[in-house]
Amino acid sequence: MRTKAYASIFRMNWKLELQYRGAVLGGIICQLVFGLILVSLYRALYAGRPQVMPIETVSTYVWLQQAFFRMVLSSDSDLAGKIRTGDIAYDLVRPLSLYGYYYARILAQKSMGSLLRAVPMLVFALCLPRGWGIMAPVSPAAFACFLLGLMIGLCCVSALENITMGITMRTLDPKGIQAMLNLLMMILSGNVLPLTLYPDAWQKVITALPYAQLLDAPIRLYTGTRQVAEAPGALLLQAAWTVVLTGVGIALWKSNQRRLVIQGG
Amino acid sequence: MNTIKLYLHSMAILIKSQMQYPVSFLLQTIAQLIMEGGEFLAVLLIVDRFDILGRWMPGDLYFFFGMMSVSFYLTECFGRGVTGNFPMLVRTGQLDTMLLRPRGVLTQVLCSAIDPRRITCIAVGVLALILGSRMSMIQWTVWKVLAFAEALLMSMLLILGLFLIEAVFCIYSVKSVELVNALTYGGRSACQYPVDIYPRPLRAMFTMLAPFAMTLHVPAAWILGKPLYGWPTWTVFVCLLSGLVVFGVVYVLFGHALRHYRSTGS
Repeated sequence: MRTKAYASIFRMNWKLELQYRGAVLGGIICQLVFGLILVSLYRALYAGRPQVMPIETVSTYVWLQQAFFRMVLSSDSDLAGKIRTGDIAYDLVRPLSLYGYYYARILAQKSMGSLLRAVPMLVFALCLPRGWGIMAPVSPAAFACFLLGLMIGLCCVSALENITMGITMRTLDPKGIQAMLNLLMMILSGNVLPLTLYPDAWQKVITALPYAQLLDAPIRLYTGTRQVAEAPGALLLQAAWTVVLTGVGIALWKSNQRRLVIQGG
Repeated sequence: MNTIKLYLHSMAILIKSQMQYPVSFLLQTIAQLIMEGGEFLAVLLIVDRFDILGRWMPGDLYFFFGMMSVSFYLTECFGRGVTGNFPMLVRTGQLDTMLLRPRGVLTQVLCSAIDPRRITCIAVGVLALILGSRMSMIQWTVWKVLAFAEALLMSMLLILGLFLIEAVFCIYSVKSVELVNALTYGGRSACQYPVDIYPRPLRAMFTMLAPFAMTLHVPAAWILGKPLYGWPTWTVFVCLLSGLVVFGVVYVLFGHALRHYRSTGS
């Protein structure tokens, strides 16, 4: 019964996200330019100092990051507004868990938002010459692992987002904490610089952090930087972080509800 | 003169109002530090892995990064009305009130907002500049200082001009236009590295359409003693003027767009 409610919230927000197709186009073109800039930069760097990891892997990493940009960086702007105005009180009346309600919403927004952008962007990247665009996944098995990893990554980033929102509910300041956590996410998820290009000595630590579980882990499976044989371990780590972060989020929201002070009048 | 006084007065009031929420302000300033620190970290890590980029040494790269970051965030700080708030002014119809007052619209828009949080970004940029200048052993002369100051000023005009393009689009379409971000934020990301490393289409885009190459890279490369494309010295001071040209053209377009402005109503 409850699951049915969450599923329909998810479906509704999926459809809502589909409504603004026109606005998406400008964003896609902008993201394409960013992708081209980054690939050119790494190509120029490779021309001077070739690396062990082939350039095709780096360009693929860049395109996948750009295509799923929206998955990492998008938040429920309604919720931030509701917290500020106090309208969140209405959501408390619903016969659903507040956390579950917003989890379903953000999951829908992030998945549809990124799908809508990723498909045309990846088609474009596929048309680019080798070493500029995206390469095919190393094997069908790797691709399957990538898709699975991407789905877990989606759940993981939604859990992270809900923690950020839980903190916002406490501090009532949507800009400070949220901006800080989002920026950490940009840097540590591999959006600013592919995590694979971070110093080799850092790799162990940086890939174990929750931010690496969103996109970095699935992309490594796609490009074969991580073998299919290592996939179960990688996917398990992703799932473990997702469970932990969801648990932390639920606890945070529960305690928020206990000491609830609503803004506004 | 009066306009400048007005601007400074508004800035003082705006800063006072932002300081009413000190904790929030502090957190946001730290967030900005993380952002620009992260960008700089990326450059440091790139240098750590690759050592050189084309003919540019690490010090040169830091210097380019610093120039871009200081001019971009000075613009975002003092031109916040254009770079951030303009779409909101159009959407909510607040622009209407500005049309009624006996001052230029652009003046009022610029007076309407400031973003002092950017100070940490500017600090990171200054740090990169000092580091770059030391490592590349720049011999500063009066001419170089002059070129540097002019480059910052012209780049700020250019960046303001590019954001003003978005404002022009916004007047016609009400919605903010993400497409222009490719020029503004895309320009910042691309041109924190010297333009001659990019393939021809991107080079053309950032030389002609959004001439960061002219306002930043030509003077910076000359200051570093490695002129871009081997161009002679006099070109430095001429190329710089393209910032003024872009701003001038967009300013005329902006005036034109305002005549077509239709309020969103209510």
